[in-house]
Amino acid sequence: MIAMDTRLTDITMQFPGTRALDNVSVTFRRDEVHGLIGENGAGKSTLVNVLGGSLQPTSGRIAIADKELKLKSPRDALLRGIAHVSQEGSLVQALSGAGNILLGAEPRTAGVIAQGRLKTEAAALVKRWFPQVSIDLDEPVGSLPMADRKVIEIVRALRGDVRLLILDEPTATLPAREKEQLWAIIRGLPKQGVGVILISHFLSEIKALSDRITVLRDGRHVVTEKAVDLSESQLVDLMLRRSGDTASKAQTEKTRATGDVVLRIAGWKAGRIEVPQFEIRAGEIVGLIGLTGSGHFGFARSLYNPAGVTCTTCEVGGSAVALHKTLTMRDAGVALVPDHRMENALIGEWSLRENLAMVHPQHAVVTTGVLSRRREEAEAQRVMRLMNVKAHSSAQELKTLSGGNKQKISIGKWLYGAQDRYRVMIFIEPTEGVDIGAKAEIYAEMRRLAGQGVGIVIASSDLIEIETMADRVVPFVDQTARPELARPQFSESAFIGAMSGVAA
Amino acid sequence: MSSASTGTAPSQELVLGFLRKDHIQRYSTLVVLVLMFVIFAATVDRFLQPQNLLNIAQQISILTIVGVGLTFGFAAREMDLSVGFAVGLAGILVPLLLTKDVALPLALLAGVGAGLVIGGINAVLVTIIGIPSLIATLATASILFGISFLLTGGRAIYGGLPEAYLWLGQGRIGGFPVLAMLMLIAVALAWFVMERTVFGRYIYAVGGNRKAAELSGINVRFYRIAALVVCSVFATVAGMLLASRLGSGQPNAGERYLLDGLATVFIGMTMLRPGTSTVVGTFFGALFIGIINNGLNLLGMDTYIQSIVKGIIILTAVAIVSRTTKLNLL
Repeated sequence: MIAMDTRLTDITMQFPGTRALDNVSVTFRRDEVHGLIGENGAGKSTLVNVLGGSLQPTSGRIAIADKELKLKSPRDALLRGIAHVSQEGSLVQALSGAGNILLGAEPRTAGVIAQGRLKTEAAALVKRWFPQVSIDLDEPVGSLPMADRKVIEIVRALRGDVRLLILDEPTATLPAREKEQLWAIIRGLPKQGVGVILISHFLSEIKALSDRITVLRDGRHVVTEKAVDLSESQLVDLMLRRSGDTASKAQTEKTRATGDVVLRIAGWKAGRIEVPQFEIRAGEIVGLIGLTGSGHFGFARSLYNPAGVTCTTCEVGGSAVALHKTLTMRDAGVALVPDHRMENALIGEWSLRENLAMVHPQHAVVTTGVLSRRREEAEAQRVMRLMNVKAHSSAQELKTLSGGNKQKISIGKWLYGAQDRYRVMIFIEPTEGVDIGAKAEIYAEMRRLAGQGVGIVIASSDLIEIETMADRVVPFVDQTARPELARPQFSESAFIGAMSGVAA
Repeated sequence: MSSASTGTAPSQELVLGFLRKDHIQRYSTLVVLVLMFVIFAATVDRFLQPQNLLNIAQQISILTIVGVGLTFGFAAREMDLSVGFAVGLAGILVPLLLTKDVALPLALLAGVGAGLVIGGINAVLVTIIGIPSLIATLATASILFGISFLLTGGRAIYGGLPEAYLWLGQGRIGGFPVLAMLMLIAVALAWFVMERTVFGRYIYAVGGNRKAAELSGINVRFYRIAALVVCSVFATVAGMLLASRLGSGQPNAGERYLLDGLATVFIGMTMLRPGTSTVVGTFFGALFIGIINNGLNLLGMDTYIQSIVKGIIILTAVAIVSRTTKLNLL
């Protein structure tokens, strides 16, 4: 069996500004479910992307069955027997289950897809791997239950000669009763010679399914152990940094003076997201946490853009806001620094000055609608100094900046020409892809803003960030806000418990 | 994957290299333009005569105005394929009204009004119904073409056009064509709006990153509508001037302004701010096309050859833009 291992040795993956993987060595076997855990940003996705051929490591070696090789593309990896089923799903919704399973390899008669054989071959594949499963393969997958769709994706991935199957959060989108069904399927695979790499946020799931577990932290390999030798609380300890950050934490331990309520909402419904009650005072920092897709990011966005939201109460700065237009909340004083800054906040080809002036270009207006370069430049310089943006001039193209400096511009947009008009500032993943130095500066800026009486909302999947910054935390489970945690209750395990719906 | 391969921090050398490459890209089209000018000047007898240069200015005027309109559309990432027939429609509507004894200012206003209506319809199709502009304007182009022929029965309209109207397209002030002056005014005005006003900034923002514009509180729909309307209005203004220059309204005279207009924008997108349409870039694009057409004409090349040359130029420009920036028009 050893000869059939997939072995990663000293894999390092360097991105501009961050080292996503740092000399990681792991061996995956064909006869095991191998759990891969770590916080967001620990390097799990990067590692499986290297294995799946989507990323080429900066250095390090990959060997399959003791033969060293390079995985140049996802196709290349697939030919070597490594298949990747991503979290989001990659099915063609309008095609039938059979059509999806044999997508790109349809049986043909004289160039025409042979529908009959398509069905029987697809059914045979399902039966070969999962004899206990029955799925309607004629239905368009868009109308099938989520678990069935996942099974179809897995069967398609197993079409070739697969030795290793990467499953990224396979149960994240599944209702509880469908999870069990998928668990049985995953556990059966190693018996048929297909090793599984399982990534999941649910520790209980990792514990229950895995033979061995690898923990990553900050791009480094922490440990690979038999699952039976590790308890869930040990796993949590291994995942989380236990040192550092104490200085910044001490800073927030001081009780911050808080002022009047700057935002109060009740009966907030944004699509499926429900928040019965939420308020934030001037100077407060509130954290929103949740598992992927649990609604904390959606809620944060809906506070800024309330299109389609209904509510019973919505007050900003003490006065009621009617939610009839997308910009009413912004006009009332709510700002949003979104996640994925290059998609949602910035224009790469623009200068820093133009990016900063995007929200309030009016600041530099001299006569009706006409901009003064000089005034714009002066204000851009002020914000760049305030945010300590490292660039040679405000005319530099934004895309040439590092992640941290880009994020500073994304925040600075709301400070440019704003004259303290924002009472609530919402940050989603404020430090994603940001180096440690810039991270500290961004935290300091949030605290400065809070000190000025801005209510700060941070929606983040970085639990250490939440623990460091927040005064209180609202966990989201299944699109709903749950009872909040106050600072004395803070701990990573309390957060994880609250996020997975387990009462602390 | 490209982010992975550029993993290491750029060294000073790389940064300098990048700047150089950037500059080459920014100015190479201009260099080609100047080279072309020099070659024609050296090889074609009459090319450098002041009269010919003024001819070029006059010849590119209408094209430039169409191109500048398209520049607004492209800046907001909207493509308008109806400009050619918008030129054609205005170019018969205004002469038609004038031959029916409508006062000149009113007839010109009607031409602008036609632009507002055409742009408005395009904008509704694109921003409210949600049809990609490339497709919606292709369909309106066909409709405009049909209307033009219905209005005239396919015949040209000439005779009885007032002197004042013909002066716009044919007159000269101190030897300088009025048409070229109107073009320069249009270019200056459009440049000012795009580069020096909040309106222009927002149009660029909507085209640069729609999602970011939206989350920055910009009314994206309004600026997409505005860009499409400006595009059509410039086209109909160009159409009125075209009929004035030709001294007649011809239903199919506008056709070639679509492809040539797009060419000016694409050539413009290769320079200054690569990947972004700019008014000055488009002006140089029109100059590029004008000089080639003029030079080849003087050399006695027939129009088929010119058409082939133009096609190659457009492909080259678009190839440069697509390979170096993310050109996403749909």
